[in-house]
Amino acid sequence: MARTLAMFTDTSLCIGCRACQVACKQWNELPMEAPEWTGSYQNQSHFTDKTYRLVRFIEKPQANGELQWLLMSDVCKHCAQAGCLDACPTGAIYRTEYGTVNINQDACNGCRYCVSSCPFGVVAFNHDTGRANKCTFCNDRIHNGLGPACAKTCPTDSIQFGFRDELAAKAEKRVAKLKEMGYPGAQLYGVDSNGPLGGLNAFFLLLDKPATYNLPDKPLLPQRNVLVDSVLSVGAALLVGVGAVMAFRERGGKGSGDA
Amino acid sequence: MLKTPDWHMLIVWYFFLGGIAGGAYFTAAVADNFGSFRDRAVVRIGYILALLMIGVCGILLILDLGTPSRFLNMIMHFKFWDPMSIGAWMLGVFGLFALVSSVLSLSADEGRAALRRKVSLVGTIFGFFLASYTGVLLSATALPFWSDARLMGALFLASGASTGMAAISLLLYLSGDAAGEGFKKIKRADRFAILFEMGVLVLFLVLLGSAAAPLVSGSMAPLFWGGLVVVGLVVPLLLDVLGARWVPAVIPAVLVLIGGFILRYVVVMTHA
Amino acid sequence: MTTNLIDIQNSDVIMATSNFAENHPVGFQWVMKAKERGAKFIHVDPRFTRTSAVADIHVPLRSGTNIAFFGGLIHYAIENNLYFKDYVVYYTNASFLIDPAFKTATDGAGLFTGLEQTGKGGADPHVAERYKRDSWKYQLDGEGNPKRDLTLRDPHSVFQLMKRHYSRYTPEMVERVCGIPKEKFVQVAKLYCENSGPEKTGTITYALNLTQHTNGVQNIRTLCMLQILLGNIGRPGGGVVALRGHANVQGATDLELLFHELPGYMAMPLRDVHPDLKTYLEKETPKGGYWVNKPKFFVSLLKAFYADGATAENDYGYQWLPKRPSADAYSHQHMFVDMYKGSIRGFLADGQNPAVGGPNAKLTRAALGKLDWLVVKDIFLTETAEFWKAPGISATDIKTEVFFLPAAPAAEKDGSLTNTMRLIQWHEKAVNPPGDVTSDAEFFVSLAKRLQKLYAGSKKSRDQGFLATRWDYGDNPREPNIELVLKEVNGYATQDITDKDGKVVYKKGQALNTFAHMTDDGKTAGGCWIYTGVCVEGPDGKLINKANQRKPADDKDYLAHGWGFAWPANRRIIYNRASADLKGKPWSEKKKLIWWDAAAPGNEPDKKGKWVGLDVPDFNPFLAPEAKNGDKPFIMRGDLVGAFFGPLNDGPFPEHYEPIESPTENLLSQQQNNPVAKIWSVPDQKNELAKVGSPEYPYVITTYRLTEHHLSGVMSRYLPMLAELFHSHFAEISNELAAELGIANGERVTVMTPRGKIHVTAMVTNRLKPFVINGKKTHQIGVPWHWGYNGISKGDITNDLSATVGDPTVYIQETKAFLCDVKKGEV
Ligand SMILES: Nc1nc2c(c(=O)[nH]1)N[C@H]1C(S)=C(S)[C@@H](COP(=O)(O)OP(=O)(O)OC[C@H]3O[C@@H](n4cnc5c(=O)[nH]c(N)nc54)[C@H](O)[C@@H]3O)O[C@H]1N2
Ligand SMILES: Nc1nc2c(c(=O)[nH]1)N[C@H]1C(S)=C(S)[C@@H](COP(=O)(O)OP(=O)(O)OC[C@H]3O[C@@H](n4cnc5c(=O)[nH]c(N)nc54)[C@H](O)[C@@H]3O)O[C@H]1N2
Ligand code: SF4
Ligand code: SF4
Ligand code: SF4
Ligand code: SF4
Ligand code: SF4
Ligand SMILES: [Mo]
Repeated sequence: MARTLAMFTDTSLCIGCRACQVACKQWNELPMEAPEWTGSYQNQSHFTDKTYRLVRFIEKPQANGELQWLLMSDVCKHCAQAGCLDACPTGAIYRTEYGTVNINQDACNGCRYCVSSCPFGVVAFNHDTGRANKCTFCNDRIHNGLGPACAKTCPTDSIQFGFRDELAAKAEKRVAKLKEMGYPGAQLYGVDSNGPLGGLNAFFLLLDKPATYNLPDKPLLPQRNVLVDSVLSVGAALLVGVGAVMAFRERGGKGSGDA
Repeated sequence: MLKTPDWHMLIVWYFFLGGIAGGAYFTAAVADNFGSFRDRAVVRIGYILALLMIGVCGILLILDLGTPSRFLNMIMHFKFWDPMSIGAWMLGVFGLFALVSSVLSLSADEGRAALRRKVSLVGTIFGFFLASYTGVLLSATALPFWSDARLMGALFLASGASTGMAAISLLLYLSGDAAGEGFKKIKRADRFAILFEMGVLVLFLVLLGSAAAPLVSGSMAPLFWGGLVVVGLVVPLLLDVLGARWVPAVIPAVLVLIGGFILRYVVVMTHA
Repeated sequence: MTTNLIDIQNSDVIMATSNFAENHPVGFQWVMKAKERGAKFIHVDPRFTRTSAVADIHVPLRSGTNIAFFGGLIHYAIENNLYFKDYVVYYTNASFLIDPAFKTATDGAGLFTGLEQTGKGGADPHVAERYKRDSWKYQLDGEGNPKRDLTLRDPHSVFQLMKRHYSRYTPEMVERVCGIPKEKFVQVAKLYCENSGPEKTGTITYALNLTQHTNGVQNIRTLCMLQILLGNIGRPGGGVVALRGHANVQGATDLELLFHELPGYMAMPLRDVHPDLKTYLEKETPKGGYWVNKPKFFVSLLKAFYADGATAENDYGYQWLPKRPSADAYSHQHMFVDMYKGSIRGFLADGQNPAVGGPNAKLTRAALGKLDWLVVKDIFLTETAEFWKAPGISATDIKTEVFFLPAAPAAEKDGSLTNTMRLIQWHEKAVNPPGDVTSDAEFFVSLAKRLQKLYAGSKKSRDQGFLATRWDYGDNPREPNIELVLKEVNGYATQDITDKDGKVVYKKGQALNTFAHMTDDGKTAGGCWIYTGVCVEGPDGKLINKANQRKPADDKDYLAHGWGFAWPANRRIIYNRASADLKGKPWSEKKKLIWWDAAAPGNEPDKKGKWVGLDVPDFNPFLAPEAKNGDKPFIMRGDLVGAFFGPLNDGPFPEHYEPIESPTENLLSQQQNNPVAKIWSVPDQKNELAKVGSPEYPYVITTYRLTEHHLSGVMSRYLPMLAELFHSHFAEISNELAAELGIANGERVTVMTPRGKIHVTAMVTNRLKPFVINGKKTHQIGVPWHWGYNGISKGDITNDLSATVGDPTVYIQETKAFLCDVKKGEV
């Protein structure tokens, strides 16, 4: 497996221009969204089968009366342990040699299990094609020596693309610097490979706690439940079984006997 | 910020009928192995009912796919940790058992019966699987309501067993065999199953805690309390325990089936 | 702009007064670079925008009070001795003495000496004559040089007059006028002023936030004054950053697609003022500074226009130039008023959409309806091309004949764009235009050639000029070779040019290397003198197109002189002589740019000394600091120094006046509006104005852009990927005002002015807050102006609200600050 690639979205550099969102649309030839009123500049409340990059606008009045307008370009996290991938029964969702998570449109049969198995609600079902869609990490571009369209377009380098280890080191430096410069809330999200979901290959620098950006503090892998739930089911089966056996057994010996 | 797979009636029916298939097969198997010759109707109905239900389930499952023509892709992969993946496999495997059992149950030949009993013991495992894996499948998603309790599988299994039994009783009744010994035994078995399901349900709600809100207090609440708890569990149980002569003996079975369907409905339709 | 976007990274403090991040996102990367270095970033804007989101301090001020704000900063810098003393004393006219008859607005009740009251802002087109300027001048000594007082103490010195003029602009006054809390103003003033000086520099950016006002030009002067007061011009990390508009609006201004100037910033002749070439050159050529060369540039321009037709005998065709009947004639608003009045019969809209973008757009569309013919050449079917489809117009009443000609956009043609930092960049055609779509160049060249055929042989003197113009750009009959156009703009020798000892320096037709080689005897032609040097001829005689250079910045050349070509002479920071002190050494090591190297070989074998450094010196490279005028950096000015005292039509010092439509009396003087502002009188109540503090129109409204949309919206609203980015046309309304009016976020509202009304969706937000003006709560709303009735994302036209009023110097509209009313629902 090749060296892991990653996208580092540094929200402290984001100016909310949405060039990334449009670049993604253009490169992936995605159709237009129906207008949705979100109450602010954001045009969609969440990812859809037509929107893989979404810039979020979060107005946060401060204690001192000043306003904080948090701008964040959100995207599929390409989790090291990916709920969507584990859920996919057809193998349509696969991990590339670069560590990114992609959906093979030619294999997906539209069961939609992945949709509910993403801890971030990223994957979306396309009713026209009958397949699931999400950020491809510009699979076609990275396999042809290009960076993702969104990263390429970003005027402020708020989205950076590169080898995960290098970007992670860069990110660590950046938070440290921001803390110095008086951003106490600055923190990394998903950079730690030993953290939740084994780390995110699309990780973020946030200026506030994850919840402010509608991100789970500790995203969990859905498949963690399979074992426990199965064991409990087996237990249930035994009990029900015993109950039924009693019911049928009572009085009269082996049925076969008195034939 | 989480997304629901927007599964609808097809899946509700699939979960419901899958439960019946598993429950019916297991009931038949028990009757077959531990019951008496007089339970033979139960056995035959159970196996054949299971077989039919599995067939219908398969169709429902395929129809629900965004791209039905690719349903085989599911079988081309096997992920033992992925309920959806094994589920698809097991549906097929269980189908085979049901088929064999049904065929064997048609002949009176005792030699075959022996084989049939052995087969059914193994088949039951798959039957239970079909009845419960749909629950595990839900709890292996990111949606708290589906996943937080860890008991969805057990709950579906209990419900599957009791609906399976109820379905058999219903058919016995319709085939005019309600007076028979088997009918009473099933009632007894089902009584236990219902009690068990109630227990699991209570535990389920406790474990879910706040995530249960949409069910117990949200839009689904009337259906849940009225449809599932009262109509589907409490009433049939009471009728049964009080042995109320004035209601047709089949009513509790019908109510249990209604309850079983409502359980799948409220669970699948509650996305939170 | 005086500097270069790349250089912003060297600023210690940046004050954006426009919506930099949203409207110049790519250039904004350099602000982010500076911030990463730890520079402080201030955003001054009535609204909290995406620029404010990344700013250290956001300073909300009421629209239209910019001079009060900058004047306050000047006052603060002077009172607290935070200005750059040496720079001010030696590099500006602060020490110059002014005619004792002159009185500032402080002593003139808001007016300067010499106003002839001919009715406030009346319809008189000759605005320039309304202030008698005879006292607005320097006291001269025996040799006719300005008298100076280097101690700056003389009461008639520019410095003392300026101090007196801005003595009213206290922090308290700023708070009452602009609505900026005093503490916040002082915090910002301190931060900005203390980050300027020998060791530090600050940059200020502006755009329409300052221009679109009836004192637009003075707004900009005020910030320039602040910058020279703090020594922030011509130095790394300093400067006045004018963030321009369309990708090529800088080029359009340089080449002067304007009503009042000719290419290279030379006045378009006025009928009565400039009867002949001699008078023109006398009146327009200053006595000192680099502009003394204007005759060379002007004659070369005429040669470029009329080629062989331009001879010494016929004043190089001067009389063929059209002349302006008045200073404002043919300015945008004036033109549409004339059109409405019926004196303009035909109109060619080439790449503009006034039906949406023009101020008072209802008047604009009505005017279009009075034309005999309208030609629109555009890449999309604009609202202008279909003005007869506008709501409220019935096409059957329109007799205007409309023609639409499809145009090729940038990607379908070669050419250059000059961006906001004077950088000329070349682009090559990517694909051929489809079908019969033509580039603008092809259209105009073939149009001209056809017309010349039709006029051929005409003896009428008025036709001779047009017949003399040359249109041959290569042998492709359809498509002109744009590099030949570039060469004509650059300038070339019209005949062999020899030096004193007969050696040929330029062959006939050879491209000029520098405008310094232009002559006023017809030997050189040049379409825009400041562009000279953009293309030169290599030894092989082939054109080298420097606009096509692509060598990025590196450690040795952070200003990237190898990327494109910046006029003039590929200078990236102009007036850069000011980066060194009187002796020619950098004010500080940290802020060095160019300096005098006494050891370097001079221009003659026996001479030594040369200006060297990180940029092309904007100075005679061999003029020693101690030589005469060797210490005067502002070479484009007659007096060679930066001007605090700088006469314009509305005064030598900027003075705050309220916008024509304002919620309050002017608190700084009895003079409510700019006395010489331009207010056009339009028939049929088509330009009604709201009274001061009008109860019917109680709210301040400003109009602006969004990153996701482009101007009149044709290039964005018509494209699905961009149209989707906003739900619909909207108005930004503060929570407080929404509460007062019972408006919920997302509700439809009506915004109305005396000119018109529009229906939009209310975006209720924390990003706008009411101002406290003179102790009274004053609401301001914001409305983007990108929507129209065509395209995918449709909406009402914001400009139906704005008025036909203008600044007295350039006649720009006042679309940043006027009055409106807001009503719940679509009324
Ligand atoms: N994405 C995008 N970029 C563009 C354009 C576009 O349409 N879309 N247009 C281009 C063109 S042609 C131009 S000219 C430039 C214009 O660039 P800008 O001048 O930045 O554009 P505006 O949004 O019109 O106005 C800027 C800001 O001025 C604020 N403002 C209003 N009144 C005042 C005031 O009195 N003082 C101060 N300090 N601020 C005030 C408004 O709230 C607004 O946020 O942008 C260019 N860039
Ligand atoms: N209320 C209010 N009004 C304003 C402003 C404001 O801030 N507030 N801003 C003002 C400013 S700064 C400006 S610059 C004006 C802009 O006003 P306009 O220039 O009228 O508006 P645009 O939409 O830029 O129109 C440019 C047109 O050129 C077309 N075009 C693009 N490329 C080509 C080409 O290569 N050839 C040809 N022939 N056509 C082409 C586009 O499709 C578009 O229709 O609006 C002004 N109006
Ligand atoms: S392109 Fe960059 S700056 Fe613009 S919204 Fe996206 S991430 Fe933010
Ligand atoms: S974020 Fe969701 S969709 Fe993306 S890889 Fe992780 S689980 Fe899959
Ligand atoms: S919808 Fe497609 S991608 Fe998602 S799990 Fe099913 S088959 Fe896999
Ligand atoms: S990586 Fe490619 S697909 Fe993913 S968001 Fe960026 S542009 Fe879109
Ligand atoms: S549109 Fe062009 S000029 Fe404007 S910011 Fe983008 S690149 Fe710069
Ligand atoms: Mo502009």
